[in-house]
Amino acid sequence: MTDHAQLPPESGGPCSDCHCEPPRRSFLTKFLAGALGALAGLIPVGIGGAFFLDPLIRKRSGGGGGSTGGVQKDEKGFIKMAIAADALPNDGMPQKFTVFDDIINAWNKSPNQPVGSVWLRKINNQIIAFNVTCPHLGCAVEHRSAQGDFYCPCHTSAFDLDGKKLNAIPPRDMDSLELDVRGNEIWIKYQNFQGATGEKVPV
Amino acid sequence: MIPSLLNWLDHRTGYKNLMHEALFERIPGGARWRYVWGSALVFTFSLQMITGIFLLTAYSGSTTTAWESVYYIQEVMTLGWLVRGIHHFAAQAMTVLLAFHLIQVIVDGAYKAPREVNFWLGLVLMQIVLGLGLTGYLLPWDQKGYYATQVSTKIMSATPVLGPALQVLAQGGAEYGHATISRFLAMHVVILPAALVGFLALHIYVFRRHGIHVKDPAHAADTTFWPDQVLKDGVAALGVLAVVVGFAIFKGAELNPPADPAEAFEAARPEWYFLFLFRFLKFEAVEHLGLAFGAIHFPGILMTILAAMPILARWKWGHKFNLTYMWLVGGGAALLTIMAIVEDGKNDDHQMALREAERDSHRVRELAKSPTMIPVEGAVSLLRNDPFTQGPRLFAKHCASCHRIDGHNGRGRLIKVVVDKKEAIAHPEATDLANFGTRDWMKSIVLDYSNHFQPLRNAQWYKNDAKAKADGTGGEFIDLDESQMADAVAEYSKVLTKADNAEDLSAVIEFLVAQRGIAADKVDAKLVARGKEILDGGKLKDGSELTKCSDCHTKLGNEFKLEDSGDDVPDLAGYGSSAWLKAFLKNPGSEQFYGKKNRMPAYGDKLTEKELDLLVRWMTSDYYETHVHNYDSRVNELPKATTQAK
Repeated sequence: MTDHAQLPPESGGPCSDCHCEPPRRSFLTKFLAGALGALAGLIPVGIGGAFFLDPLIRKRSGGGGGSTGGVQKDEKGFIKMAIAADALPNDGMPQKFTVFDDIINAWNKSPNQPVGSVWLRKINNQIIAFNVTCPHLGCAVEHRSAQGDFYCPCHTSAFDLDGKKLNAIPPRDMDSLELDVRGNEIWIKYQNFQGATGEKVPV
Repeated sequence: MIPSLLNWLDHRTGYKNLMHEALFERIPGGARWRYVWGSALVFTFSLQMITGIFLLTAYSGSTTTAWESVYYIQEVMTLGWLVRGIHHFAAQAMTVLLAFHLIQVIVDGAYKAPREVNFWLGLVLMQIVLGLGLTGYLLPWDQKGYYATQVSTKIMSATPVLGPALQVLAQGGAEYGHATISRFLAMHVVILPAALVGFLALHIYVFRRHGIHVKDPAHAADTTFWPDQVLKDGVAALGVLAVVVGFAIFKGAELNPPADPAEAFEAARPEWYFLFLFRFLKFEAVEHLGLAFGAIHFPGILMTILAAMPILARWKWGHKFNLTYMWLVGGGAALLTIMAIVEDGKNDDHQMALREAERDSHRVRELAKSPTMIPVEGAVSLLRNDPFTQGPRLFAKHCASCHRIDGHNGRGRLIKVVVDKKEAIAHPEATDLANFGTRDWMKSIVLDYSNHFQPLRNAQWYKNDAKAKADGTGGEFIDLDESQMADAVAEYSKVLTKADNAEDLSAVIEFLVAQRGIAADKVDAKLVARGKEILDGGKLKDGSELTKCSDCHTKLGNEFKLEDSGDDVPDLAGYGSSAWLKAFLKNPGSEQFYGKKNRMPAYGDKLTEKELDLLVRWMTSDYYETHVHNYDSRVNELPKATTQAK
């Protein structure tokens, strides 16, 4: 644009002065004006952007180990279940139990809250655990004693009692959970996993 | 390729013409620094929009989450302190820039015909900006915002006729609550910004219609808005940003303790730019005329005169009058602001209230960061259940009429009395409990009993009892001069201070301090055993023997049983422990303690179990570890004769 050319000549000065003005100075003014304006806008947007990306940037802090809440939890994340090992029937019949953990919700911590459920089975004094959440789309898997299987009422996923899938609806077997029997205590590492995927990926 | 694409776009939208309109506004007399205020305001508003939207992605508006989410933004989230800091200080920058813009417009006469309407639009914008400041002040839901906004809504209720209804509408109910936050939030983030954008668009449109008002077009060669004035505006914008970021980094946005309707906030003040009004309302003459006059009618008259300026300017001396008026009102406001600040600076109560707010503010953040974090009922419960916070308050309420902590009432304030119509610092009438139960405390009793309990002499009962004893009409009281304890201490201070017995003195103190069983004392078990041996009649290093404490304090080192009691001297078993203190506070006149000699009131029915627990846990340092700076000692300010030796 020839903005300067549109203006009347400087009062008193010869017209040629306008044209003699080196174009670089005008370019410099434009460049500086643009750059400073952009900078003034970009700095707050950049700072705010970093703030918005906080959930991706920041490692979760606070809480974790169960020393302060109402739940007994070790450093590896195993939670002590209310049920004793010898209280489970030895015939492999699945039993459903609620898992309690301290819930951290941003600034809040609520001790000893129900966070999910597990199926426990004891066979020949070996205990196995499954997350009740269906690996398909996240409904709760039920035990059907008549059919002797696990069955999801939402989309008819079915599994045998060892968690193997019995039809093509679920993308993978039921999610088994790490479990540690300490004396007569059952400690479970309770985790949820991504649904609708063949791989078992913790969320 | 690109030029033809732009031409295509221009053909459809006409954007080039618009850009040309926007950028090539003619500026007779050249670009000038004095024109940057308007642009700086627009920039600061943009800054508020940007940071405000980001803050809104993290804010949670309810009485149990507002403070908590702001704490989380400020202390935990990435750069949250900076985003909030910019928003906090840019809000204040806006009021400053508003003032500069207004002054420039009036001084240059830019408000005169034909620009009257634009001047009025500017005044509307000013009200909106002040409204944004007022509504934003409440949103962190901290003590300061809560109590300052209470004042605003009370003023609102003083509006003639509609006042009470307006107040309920603004609050969303008769009292402050969830609805208040929701309503203020809606005002702050939607209604007022939308109004501001609308009025700003009109303001700029009308401004462009008349062009810039230039006082001396011959100042320099004419130019256009782009790029000459934009460059100056850009520098101004960056300058504003630098100042705001500087404040955010070096001062930081404050976050007072969470709002607690049950906890009066004596440090309450409006934001500094409303201080003049605050101070104005404090004048007795103004108070006399009523809240509606001071807070509504009078400011309304001032604003009306301001709005009438373009009309007044038609009169020959109008502009001069307007200028004078502006400087008078501005100067008056500045003077009132300075008065308010100076008076607050000199006001010990206010300073201590600020000090307490700071202490609580740091403490609540400390607790929020602790492994237990914030319970769902909100951060205010952290302070309500914290001995470090509540102990001093309970002490101030129940104990400080006689006792002191480091010379103050537990909350940093001196106790005052009025003597001969003059305010004076009161004499303490019981011991200073700052170091209760510590080694210093024990040493002071064992070696300097009379001086340790010196403040008792100030009490009227002491004077009466001493007189009664002299008259032979009474005399069972804690006599600091003539008693078995006074005699024993006279002996101890002579014997135990010998160089040979230095270690034995430590042993005695160690034994006594071990009674309270506080792990942090880290007592030396060997010394404790030696101390017990000495107080039970064992020989000292230099061969001498002490009067046994157990001659009178019969429960020496053994667990106290009620049936053992009857000695009317304080039980030494567990002395200073939480159980001992609780029993003592409930009934200091029991035989376990001072019996008939006691003059302290019993607190068994004055304090609830919970209060007693909080007070005792504070006195025994039984609370989540703190790094908060405590109140400074004020012992040196007490009347000289009664200060006790430490």
